[in-house]
Amino acid sequence: MPDPFPLIRGTLDLLVLKALCFGPMHGFEITCWLERQSGGRLDVEDSALYQALYRLEARRLIDAEWGVTGNRRRARYYRPTATGRAHLRAETSRWLRYTETVSGLLTAPLGAQP
Amino acid sequence: MKPIRRLFALALRRPELARRQTDEEIAFHIDARVEQLMEAGLSRDEAEAEAHRRFGDLARARQELHASAERREERLGMGDRIDELVGDARYVVRSLRRSPTFTVTVAATLALAIGANATMFGVVDRLLVRGPEHVRDPGRVMRAYRTEVNAAQGPQTYASLGYISYTLLRDQARAFDGVAAYATPGERTVGQGGDAEPAFIGYATWDLFPLLGVRPALGRFFGADEDRPPEGQHVVVLGHAFWTRHFASDTAVIGASIIIGNEPYTIVGVAPRGFTGVELGRADGWLPMSLRSASTTSNWTTTWNAEWLMVVARLKAGVTPQAASDEATHIHRAGYTGSNRSLAQASMTLAPISYTRQGRESAEVAISRWLVGVSLLVLVIACANVANLLLARAIGRRREIAVRLALGITPGRLVRLLLTESLALALLGGGAALLVAFWGGKAIRAVLLPDIFWASSPVDGRVMIVALLLTVTTGFVVGLVPALLARRQDLHDTLGAGARDSGVRPSRVRAGLLFTQSALALVLVIDAGLFARSLANVRALDLGFEPRKVLSIDLIWPSIGNLPPDQVQAERARRRAGLLGALEQVRHLPDVADAAIAVGTPFGNSFVVSLRVPGHDSIPDLGGGPYISVVTGRYFETVGTRLIAGRTFTSADGPGSERVAIVNEPMARTLWPGADPLAQCLMVFNDSLPCARVVGVVAEARRFQLREPPAMQYYVPYGQESGIGGSVLLVRPRADALRFAEALPAAMRAGDPTLPRLRVRLMQDAIDPQVRPWRLGATLFAAFGFLALAVAAIGLYSVIAYMVAQRTREFGVRLALGARGRNIAALVAARGLLPAGLGFAAGLGIALIAGRFIGPLLFETSPHDLPVLAASAASLVLVALLACLVPAWRASRVDPVVALRTD
Repeated sequence: MPDPFPLIRGTLDLLVLKALCFGPMHGFEITCWLERQSGGRLDVEDSALYQALYRLEARRLIDAEWGVTGNRRRARYYRPTATGRAHLRAETSRWLRYTETVSGLLTAPLGAQP
Repeated sequence: MKPIRRLFALALRRPELARRQTDEEIAFHIDARVEQLMEAGLSRDEAEAEAHRRFGDLARARQELHASAERREERLGMGDRIDELVGDARYVVRSLRRSPTFTVTVAATLALAIGANATMFGVVDRLLVRGPEHVRDPGRVMRAYRTEVNAAQGPQTYASLGYISYTLLRDQARAFDGVAAYATPGERTVGQGGDAEPAFIGYATWDLFPLLGVRPALGRFFGADEDRPPEGQHVVVLGHAFWTRHFASDTAVIGASIIIGNEPYTIVGVAPRGFTGVELGRADGWLPMSLRSASTTSNWTTTWNAEWLMVVARLKAGVTPQAASDEATHIHRAGYTGSNRSLAQASMTLAPISYTRQGRESAEVAISRWLVGVSLLVLVIACANVANLLLARAIGRRREIAVRLALGITPGRLVRLLLTESLALALLGGGAALLVAFWGGKAIRAVLLPDIFWASSPVDGRVMIVALLLTVTTGFVVGLVPALLARRQDLHDTLGAGARDSGVRPSRVRAGLLFTQSALALVLVIDAGLFARSLANVRALDLGFEPRKVLSIDLIWPSIGNLPPDQVQAERARRRAGLLGALEQVRHLPDVADAAIAVGTPFGNSFVVSLRVPGHDSIPDLGGGPYISVVTGRYFETVGTRLIAGRTFTSADGPGSERVAIVNEPMARTLWPGADPLAQCLMVFNDSLPCARVVGVVAEARRFQLREPPAMQYYVPYGQESGIGGSVLLVRPRADALRFAEALPAAMRAGDPTLPRLRVRLMQDAIDPQVRPWRLGATLFAAFGFLALAVAAIGLYSVIAYMVAQRTREFGVRLALGARGRNIAALVAARGLLPAGLGFAAGLGIALIAGRFIGPLLFETSPHDLPVLAASAASLVLVALLACLVPAWRASRVDPVVALRTD
């Protein structure tokens, strides 16, 4: 397994929002989704995920509701609010522009400088 | 109170709940992870260790998550609550707009009731609570009264004292932080020529201002060196309103000169806005006390024979009024140097400055105090009524409420919703109540309490605060009953049964509210009747003259005090000629029935001069008098005093003719019992003058009070007097006196342009202050009584009408089964008439008991006056019958077919 990336501050919130766009999930499902999608390359303590969830909920970007899992246990299910979805869209495009700029700069061929 | 406690519990438990839920979430996560890892092949121990490692330091993480969960709940909770409130408000506005009749009825009821209370608060606040404006700690400022015990009249208490009483108390008393004296502002002419205007000028010793704790708005008050007897400096402190009006608030007036009477004064300061001294009447300016009597009484600072000022003192902290009174009595008795025995033994009292000059609580204040209670009763009636309407409405919405409950609205939220509704109604009413208080306050000030100077608007900050408090309290009180009852309902029953039958409890509550309303309304209507009867009795009082039909005209001449003595005589003669000329001229005006000149008039000036009656060593003392009036011919015809025997004066009686006199009936009876008073002899003014032959006897006319013991009074012709002055011109117009009064000054001046400023008043104006308490009582009790009656009638009607609407189907069934319409109507009417009737009985009882307290406020009216009690009860019963019979009649006409189809 390659070395896991430390997560840039604020990114986790976006990833969680993204995950929830696929449908309501509880905390553990989100963890699994992140691990699966990143191939385990993200270094996140599970508790940090819950911090992110509570933060998002307080900002009314997501909603929470108690529900019952497949094997009949009570779990807190989260889903994005309309504001949350809009927030994700805006932040995603910002993120893309940012990485594009940064990668453009980092990959500029040497010697082509004026 | 259960739902309210629950609401609090919920708020308190919130963080606790958040922590518990977080723990549950963590536990679930770890379990799920362990399960996942074990599926991947780890042993339980290994899986648990790995799950914990991945979660992070569990103890620390748990603590941090608790903190952020609490933060989250706090933020969400606040938002939720705001959302809920907004939602509730929206719902309430929608539902109120759907029933405009209900909304308007309730809001109007509350507006009138809250407005009445706010109005009365505004009045009492000034009369009683706050006292005169700008007086620091008015409760400790007291007025000094003297009580003399007089053989003929018993104890007499009065506030008019001499300067000597002021200096004695000021120099010797230890009970006070300050002693001062003042004379109530009286009307003077200020300015000259076209600039002249009447103004109310008072006198004060310099120490009055520091005693009251007032600070000037501009300049300064006069000081000790300007108010030093025997004669002070000619300085004046202007009243704020006068300064604003006369000088347009010009700050450059300090140091300027102003003419008061006929003399120049230097303006040294302007009193703060609204300052009226110790009393509540208008004050346009203050002069140093030591100017007041300097020209008339040379020994005025030490004599016991010139008593015209009032003494006020500020009690030292910890000194009781009783202790101060005892000390003042001691100082008075030790300091008295005159020869009057009853004065030497007189006692002193210190009493609140709101008391009258007779040392009693004024009738206005006493009645206002009652009116506050009455307005509160009106509010209680209105609350009962509104609670009843809300209750009926809540019952009507049982289904809606039950559905909401079933759909998951919490009972607490439902209570809040109903309370929001009642609060919204109360606020609507409260807003309109401010308008009621504004107009009501204006009317009361102008019509019923015109002698009080009101500096601020009828709705000031304090009135608004009281109105707001009443509004919120009312909203809670009227909302609580239906809200609590709504919560009680059994959900399933309501959903199953439809909204027809009301439960036992609500109907019992409604009957109780009806009972309360009816009882209180009857009490108020009875009291209104008693006051109306008092006022009628006051109006019907035979005063021995006709004050409503006679105008009294003062000619306001400039003061002649500063003319050289030789010119004074000439000026006096000129003025006398001017007055006689005016009389002649007025007499010939087409609208004038009669006119006369008089010195000494009822409720005006009174004079006592030297009088000797042959055959009597001394004149019997009836308590004051015998009073003398100097009148021209046709005086009695002008004022409407009845001639009993002999003749009245004619134009032939005058300076050169035989000396004659007319006596009043008590005087004739007292001096010559059993003998013919005509041709008897009075030696008036001076023993050396020839006898004045009695030529007539007239009826008694009151002099000072509406109710007073008979006093001796005699009249001599104008021109035969000596040593008294102060003439007024009396005019009896043919038609409406008030309308004529407006045109009179111009008409008189057209005849003689040299006439000075004229002050025209109805004679009744001088009596009005004594009638006012009863007018205040009668008017406001009538207003409140009517309000109570209307509110109670609306309440009764709406409850019965509502019941009929609810039971339409049942009545239909009954009618279909053969019941008579009459029986149905009786059934319905009984529902309302029973509690109302019981309420009336209770109200009658309350009124009879309360009569003991209200009796002293009435004028020659028994508090148990049978016609008033009977008429009030009858009119309320009639109103109740009407309120019940209309819906009852409707119930009897229910069409069974239609009724059965509804629902």
